[in-house]
Amino acid sequence: MEILKVNDLKKTYTTRFGGNQVQALKGVSFSVDAGEYVAIMGESGSGKTTLLNILAALDKPTSGSVFLDGKQLSNVGEDELAKFRRDNLGFVFQEFNLLDTFSIKDNILLPLVLGGIGLNEMKKRLEKVAYELGISDILSKFPYEVSGGQKQRAAAARALITNPKLVLADEPTGALDSRSSSELLRVFSNINKQGQTILMVTHSTDAASNADRVLFIRDGVVFHQIFRGDSTNEELYKKISDTLTMLRTAGDTGASIKTPGNCAGNEGLGVRGQE
Amino acid sequence: MKRGLYRKMGWSNIRKNYRFFVPRITSEAGLLACFYISLTLAFDDRLSQVKGGTYIPTFMLIGTAVLAILSAVLMFYTNSFLMKQRRAEFGVYNILGMEKKHVGKVLFHESFLSSIISILGGLGLGVLFYKLCSLLICKLLKSKIIVGFYFITPKTLALAGAFFILLDILTFIYNRIVISRMKPVEMLKSRSAGEKEPTVKWLLLLVGIAALGAGYFISITTKSPLQALELFFVAVVLVIIGTYCIFVTGTTFVLKLLKKNERYYYNKKHMPSVSGLLFRMKQNAVGLASIAILATGVLVMISTTVSLYSGLQGTLDKNYPQDLYFYAQYENTDGVNTSVPAEELERMARKAADDVGVKIESVENNDYLSVSYYKEGNRLYTKNEVENTLSKTEIMNGIVDCMFITEASYTALTGETLSLGRYELGVSMVSSPTGNSKDADMSGELVIHGKTYKIAENIGLYPVKTQILANGFPVMGFVVADDEAMKEIFEAQKAGYGKYASEMTNRICVSFVDREKACKVGDELTSEINSELNAYLDSIGYGDASAGYSIDTYWEAREEVTGMYGTLLFLGILLGAVCLFATVLIIYYKQISEGYEDRDRFQIMEKIGMTTSEIKKTINSQVLLVFFLPLIVAGIHIVFAYPMLSRMLRVLALYKPTLFLTCSLISYAVFAVVYILIYLGTSRTYYKIIK
Repeated sequence: MEILKVNDLKKTYTTRFGGNQVQALKGVSFSVDAGEYVAIMGESGSGKTTLLNILAALDKPTSGSVFLDGKQLSNVGEDELAKFRRDNLGFVFQEFNLLDTFSIKDNILLPLVLGGIGLNEMKKRLEKVAYELGISDILSKFPYEVSGGQKQRAAAARALITNPKLVLADEPTGALDSRSSSELLRVFSNINKQGQTILMVTHSTDAASNADRVLFIRDGVVFHQIFRGDSTNEELYKKISDTLTMLRTAGDTGASIKTPGNCAGNEGLGVRGQE
Repeated sequence: MKRGLYRKMGWSNIRKNYRFFVPRITSEAGLLACFYISLTLAFDDRLSQVKGGTYIPTFMLIGTAVLAILSAVLMFYTNSFLMKQRRAEFGVYNILGMEKKHVGKVLFHESFLSSIISILGGLGLGVLFYKLCSLLICKLLKSKIIVGFYFITPKTLALAGAFFILLDILTFIYNRIVISRMKPVEMLKSRSAGEKEPTVKWLLLLVGIAALGAGYFISITTKSPLQALELFFVAVVLVIIGTYCIFVTGTTFVLKLLKKNERYYYNKKHMPSVSGLLFRMKQNAVGLASIAILATGVLVMISTTVSLYSGLQGTLDKNYPQDLYFYAQYENTDGVNTSVPAEELERMARKAADDVGVKIESVENNDYLSVSYYKEGNRLYTKNEVENTLSKTEIMNGIVDCMFITEASYTALTGETLSLGRYELGVSMVSSPTGNSKDADMSGELVIHGKTYKIAENIGLYPVKTQILANGFPVMGFVVADDEAMKEIFEAQKAGYGKYASEMTNRICVSFVDREKACKVGDELTSEINSELNAYLDSIGYGDASAGYSIDTYWEAREEVTGMYGTLLFLGILLGAVCLFATVLIIYYKQISEGYEDRDRFQIMEKIGMTTSEIKKTINSQVLLVFFLPLIVAGIHIVFAYPMLSRMLRVLALYKPTLFLTCSLISYAVFAVVYILIYLGTSRTYYKIIK
């Protein structure tokens, strides 16, 4: 079942004085099935942040549509957006974005508090998610008292506690050392196994190699995608780095790969994963 | 060319940081203007010679000193704020390759430019408003307005300018040192990184509660007006200490309690505000406490001076039921002080009134006794009693001149009844040259000539005015129950002093048909009486009134009291305005510094799913509480200060308590309105930053 469907998404930024127009997204289409773990890769300036902001309903597309669980985002009113975001989406940011005035516990509970959930229910969910992420013992601490990895797991807990339909992670390992990164990625894999849909934007091949499917964005279009199939993380890692190398050389010579503007579904792909 | 570059950078920095510099420059200019005005008023000869203007130099000099301290504190406050906000900016310069001495040069040009603008602006404002202020003070003194243009007084202009230049130089030196000590990485770091949740400091909290409680307790329990005067500053200091301690740690205590209550805390209405406030209080407690204290200061100054001034006529009417009080004494051949008989005095007054053309309505007699005592503790000794045991200087240090009247005379003069028992006294400290009210222990008992009297009443303004006794010793006034009590004291001092004993003073109290008309010719009238008296003394063979005489008039008192209260009111308005200004400044800087800090916090909350309206609500409740807490605290302070202040005002002869109450309420209401306007103004800046 499709939980997220993105249809020919375009975003054009106009510079302040109306002179230059910058096309950040030139028609992106893809979909994510429920329970899937998808990574989006791309270099700086490829448009992946713009894409994520639109998916998170923090920004509006110039044209095209986004359906989350069958509901079109652009049809959600301005006032309901915050509530919609709170109920359906969980965010994990590169910079953690934990509030320094809250303890870890309060940071995690904040979305539930905003949603007006009862105290007992809150505690039950907190206990569960904290156990799953292995942060039960640091709940009473403040963000400045714990390590980066713990902060990010707390941020993940905050994203998961609302039982969102989709977790959006923006470079979640970007500010972490390698050990914390692999711990966090293991957490992501675990929650994915329990059925949580995850969409992760990343630079890191290592992070992407945990996903079921990897989309490559370049110059505002989905350029390519790889399926995991039966490959292990290591195999997928290799495939991703090969693809990246190939993409780069192709980009540099500008010849050998045909650029499909549209990669929705499985058709028209230059490289396919084993199925 | 290089030098030009630094100047350009300095100038563009001022323009870029207009949010910080504009208030800094205006505040410096405003403070300088007030300082200049106050200083010039103190040294303006033309003003001190105006009717009732004798108080202006002293009072305004005190005001200038207070302003100097306030200015220094405020300038350093705004400066430290400015430097904190701009740390990152200096850090960037450093990283871009400017050495610290170059940053110092940019800083110098900035300070130089802002200093020049503020000082020229301030002196300009001062000169501009000086004339207005001198007109205002003349108006308050109800004296003739001095005409003529004397705008510029170079001496005070130079003095005021020099003081603020000195302040600017000091702040620059301070900033230069701060910059040379900063490490670039530290400068770049965000301000709030790694801030800890505040903890309740129990000792501080206890000290605060104790100090505040003690301050309030003093205010409520101090019964005697003079003791109130004496203890007032103790109470003020206690309350200031209490306010600071409680703001710093008491707010944390309450918020932590709220946080502990999970049902209350885990609610979207409360959670962001409570935790936000918890951190915010840590940074702002001192600022908020300062606002609360300044606000209390403004309110006390304005309400007391306004009520004194507006109660002036009532005070005068109460103390001067008649228009002229006149007595004279001379030393007869035996060396005994003898009073000029009342009939003679009356004759002189009538003659003088006829001469200047005013009609007398009535003349009353009233007698009093004045005796010098050596006072030790609660005992009064005649000089003879202690002559052998104490040295002359010891005796001189303990001399108190005492006046006695019967309650009947007191009632006749003031219209008030005391209902004194046979051995009860009404006591008043008439004058205390050292200003030390310890000269009179105004409660408990007093032993005179071996008889114990109970002090039943403290009297604010003693109805008998004295010039003869005002020879440098403290003067106390007493009211005794009746003629019998008076006679007992009279006989006792007669026995004690023998030849040097005092006689009863015969005094007449004259009322004129047309008080205002008498006031107009007042000076003529007194000099006329004076010459009549001299003629009389000549006629009985005594050259002048060697033992003394006094003509105490309503119009002289009016001039005196109007001068004093008018100057006080002006000072109250000036200092009140400066305090209000300081309040605005602190609030403004608080708002923008918080705006910058809260911005990041609210951006995160928005991402997590807080709606814009929820964010607005949270901001509102935080800002409202932070903002109005000082106003509420100032209100509580005023309520507790009220009993003490109203007693102190009794010493200054304000008898109508309702007047002070009205003035307090009105000034609080006006202050609240002004405060809300400031809030609306500054919160706009805050929201702009947040957005």
